Amino acid sequence: MNASDLIDLFPLIIIASFAIIIMIVNIFYRKHEVNAVLAISGLLLAFMTTAGLFGSVPGRTANLLTIDSYALFFMGLFFAATLAITALSYGYNKTHEGSHEAFYILLLIAVLGSAVLAASSHFVSFFLGLEMLSISLYALIAYRRGERSNEAGIKYLVLAGLSSSFLLFGMALVYAQTGTMEFSEIASVSSASQVRSLAMSSGVLLIIVGAGFKLALVPFHMWTPDVYEGSPAPISAFVATVSKGAVFALILRFFTLIDIQADGRFFLVFTIIAVASMFTGNLLALYQNNIKRVLAYSSIAHLGYLLVAFLSNGALAITAVSFYLTAYFITIIGAFGVITVLSRADEEREFLDQYRGLAQTHPLLSGVFTAMLLSFAGIPLTAGFIGKFYLVSAGVNSALWLLIFSLVVNSAISIFYYLRIIAALYEAVPEKMIEIPLPLAGTIAISALMLMLMCLGIYPSQLIRLIQITAATLG
Amino acid sequence: MKSLLWLIPALPLAGFAVLLFSGSRLSNRLAGLIGTASVGLSAIISLLIAIDFISEPPVGNAYTQVLWRWLFIGGFSPEVALRLDALSLTMIMVITVVAFLIHLYSTEFMAEDEGYRRFFSYMNLFVGSMSVLVLADNMLLLYLGWEGVGLCSYLLIGFWYSDSYNGYAARKAFIVTRIGDTALIIGIFLLFTSLGTLQIQELIARASLMWPVNSALAIAASALLLGGALGKSAQLPLQTWLPDAMAGPTPVSALIHAATMVTAGVYLIARTHALFDLAPSIKMLVAVIGAATLLISAFSALAQSDIKRILAYSTISQIGYMFLALGVGAWSSAIFHFMTHAFFKALLFLGAGAVILSLDHEHNIFKMGGLKKELPFTFYVFFAGAASLSALPLVTAGYYSKDLILHDAFTSPSGSPLLWAVGILGAFLTALYTFRLLFIVFFGEPKTEVTSKPGLKIKLPLFVLAVFSITAGFVETTSSLGDIHILSGFLVSSLPPLTKPAEPNASQIEIAGAFAPLAGILIAYLIYYRNPGISESLAGLRFGNTLKSFWFSGWGFDNFYDRFFVRPLFWIVMANRNDFLDKPFLGIASTLKGVNRLLALSQSGKVRWYAFAITMGAVLALCAVILP
Repeated sequence: MNASDLIDLFPLIIIASFAIIIMIVNIFYRKHEVNAVLAISGLLLAFMTTAGLFGSVPGRTANLLTIDSYALFFMGLFFAATLAITALSYGYNKTHEGSHEAFYILLLIAVLGSAVLAASSHFVSFFLGLEMLSISLYALIAYRRGERSNEAGIKYLVLAGLSSSFLLFGMALVYAQTGTMEFSEIASVSSASQVRSLAMSSGVLLIIVGAGFKLALVPFHMWTPDVYEGSPAPISAFVATVSKGAVFALILRFFTLIDIQADGRFFLVFTIIAVASMFTGNLLALYQNNIKRVLAYSSIAHLGYLLVAFLSNGALAITAVSFYLTAYFITIIGAFGVITVLSRADEEREFLDQYRGLAQTHPLLSGVFTAMLLSFAGIPLTAGFIGKFYLVSAGVNSALWLLIFSLVVNSAISIFYYLRIIAALYEAVPEKMIEIPLPLAGTIAISALMLMLMCLGIYPSQLIRLIQITAATLG
Repeated sequence: MKSLLWLIPALPLAGFAVLLFSGSRLSNRLAGLIGTASVGLSAIISLLIAIDFISEPPVGNAYTQVLWRWLFIGGFSPEVALRLDALSLTMIMVITVVAFLIHLYSTEFMAEDEGYRRFFSYMNLFVGSMSVLVLADNMLLLYLGWEGVGLCSYLLIGFWYSDSYNGYAARKAFIVTRIGDTALIIGIFLLFTSLGTLQIQELIARASLMWPVNSALAIAASALLLGGALGKSAQLPLQTWLPDAMAGPTPVSALIHAATMVTAGVYLIARTHALFDLAPSIKMLVAVIGAATLLISAFSALAQSDIKRILAYSTISQIGYMFLALGVGAWSSAIFHFMTHAFFKALLFLGAGAVILSLDHEHNIFKMGGLKKELPFTFYVFFAGAASLSALPLVTAGYYSKDLILHDAFTSPSGSPLLWAVGILGAFLTALYTFRLLFIVFFGEPKTEVTSKPGLKIKLPLFVLAVFSITAGFVETTSSLGDIHILSGFLVSSLPPLTKPAEPNASQIEIAGAFAPLAGILIAYLIYYRNPGISESLAGLRFGNTLKSFWFSGWGFDNFYDRFFVRPLFWIVMANRNDFLDKPFLGIASTLKGVNRLLALSQSGKVRWYAFAITMGAVLALCAVILP
């Protein structure tokens, strides 16, 4: 470990220190505003450091972490997403008295875990990052302390524990077979021996099960709606975006190294998972009246779409995944953001009926919500369209016709429930909703998200260039 | 200077965004200012760019500004790029200047209207979209502009949406032009799949290399593009929407349905003229459609009594002249007539608007009369416009452009005396219906009281347009009248000149071209000024009456479409109430609903079941990996 290693780790160190700073400050002075400002400045600083490091020589720390452009891109994405989520949480938490220091500390630790996952190149850091993320989330999910929140927290705890045991066992098997826990060495050993032994295959598969739980892929998905419903809306956004994105970034790195797509058996398993996720997610969302659950089902389907790019090969696959994830992050945070600014910590506005005629009282919010839903559906001039376009072209390039077909059919199915919500927003209702004052930080955050959504739809080239640098480091 | 090109569409679009998002926080005065100033700045920039372009022509006489690349996936990388060449420069100058004048006019015309801000936001969106259409460097961007102007047309025709007829007119315009738009997008797909690019210049270069003259692909592609042009430009058989489009506010009729949007089809064909050169049969079809349209709608204009509908039929007819010119390969003559037409038709519509406003929204010309005394200014500018539309020889712009088209229709290798004769007859009718309108409205006994008089913001645009309507023709004259070729000389880098053999009868053609309008004016004078009884006794005859109502209904096209398309479709819909074609779709829907129910059962909320599912999933996946 030398000085340059330390510089590479700056973003992680900043996040960790701000978590500690908040703890120390709260010994002397407890105020919600101070905590939120500290969390936001920590994330902002970490984001800027990440941006500064982008494109520099990749650094490796004790074989555990690889800070390359790929890792930095995703770290930047996670920090920015958490920044938006923190801004949304501020107004949300304010509706409930208290200084909420635990909320912000846990959020910082969770995003630290995600950043570690993005940079991880070793099973140890993989597991460490994952547990940092999960353990913070148990508490955050149950943060509202109501009946449903506690239930959601416990459910997540039990099932995440189960999936972690799968993951750990899988790692053990791979280690037993290859004698190493470092990704690149595993890759060179397994490709040198050219044998995929029973233990090796089983190990990799169990890792897929563990990751599949975090990604909420069918059949490991059932916790999603319950957890999204029970947790505070901004935390649902976090679980849907940063937590999933981190695991996806990691498995994309690991599985690209060991070239799992080339193995027909795994390819089959992934194909089945992808198609099942698309259909299950979209079909469950069809007649759902709880918007948080709709978004949960929709996110299951979106991860299924994302597997199309994962299964295609070449640099286009990584470009497609990165762009789609970015678009998906903006969209889902924007959608949960609208729910957040309309909700109070003790009473969330989550039912479709509560959104009827929103356009009359809150034209801005219904505009943002509409834009987000259109982006989910992949309508042109939104980021979601370009993301989906990339997925399809990546799939077509690799001739994954079954997956493309399934993606197209599912896009059609999904439009039904997106439009169902949009129609409700613009419905003319006889009695107007009570106009509630909107929190400033949250409103700024969702307006910025909408602006980014349109910008990426019309002028995506800057991001694409960034992603191509990212893809080059991995490919 | 040329690097400011992007501002021409960007400024009105920015104005649109500001007006859209500011809501009711802006005062009407400020909203009008933003709307007008953004377009005015665009007009100034396009004039400055024109000066720059002419004084220092860029390499290859074209300047391309690549703003950004929208996507790059494999071989597909459409750019957001603007192309400035002689053709697009001519178009953009006329569009922005006329649009600015009409915006200025609207600040007074719409002053009392509740939807003032909404009006200016739509108008700005229109000007932005139209600039994108004209400046687009590739077909995708052109199509974006094409759909944008269609949307604005729909929104503005139905601007006064509380009256259901206006909504009907808006829908009719949207649906009828959609038929053409569909042809256009299929044409674009065809061009992309067979030539592998969307960039217009590249497209044309490749087409000229790869496709022989009269090849099937060239014919199909140009026919599809023509389909798009017919819808947008209201030509036979898709002309029926334009008269109804007059339901919109008058400035809208002037800007969108006379000066600019309806000529988008002319621009499209001129832009892709090389494709039409590869398909002589389709080119011929363009000329025939143009000739037929100009004649049919000129007759219809004769029978109308609504001042705006007369002008609407006249617009269809004048665009018919442009199509005639395009069809005989006289590309620059078509653009010349587009330019003069934009000036005098905008003038006539705005003048009509001033009359309508002064008479408290009276549209019927038979309830007007004697307005020359009450509204002298309006009369003189309207007279200038009417003279230009009638192609009054030598002194008006309309004469030079129309005369050129008639000349080309005769002498072009693909022209014929018959096309020329139709054009001459049309010119005669044009003068007849125009001066019928003028005599009835401005002479005779006053019938409706003048309630208000136009103010400065209405007079100024009218005056400027009147000057243009008279003088804009001197940029291009035939060999016997000075032989000036400023416009076609300028356009030659984009549009090849017509190679025509020396015509021995040139002077006779010109004399006929000059006398037809004079004859029309004379007859209008005799019938409608000297002896107004004649027209009534003519119409009183059985035959005259039938003919009149036939012309009044626009040759029964609406009736025909209603009987042969709309009603049979409705009949099928009624007969097929429980749509059998819907059955499979309903089946899909109910299947999905069932699956939804089943899957919902799996979301039991029970942790043990969830854990079981995870474990079973793992076991099954293990089997799939280990067993083979």
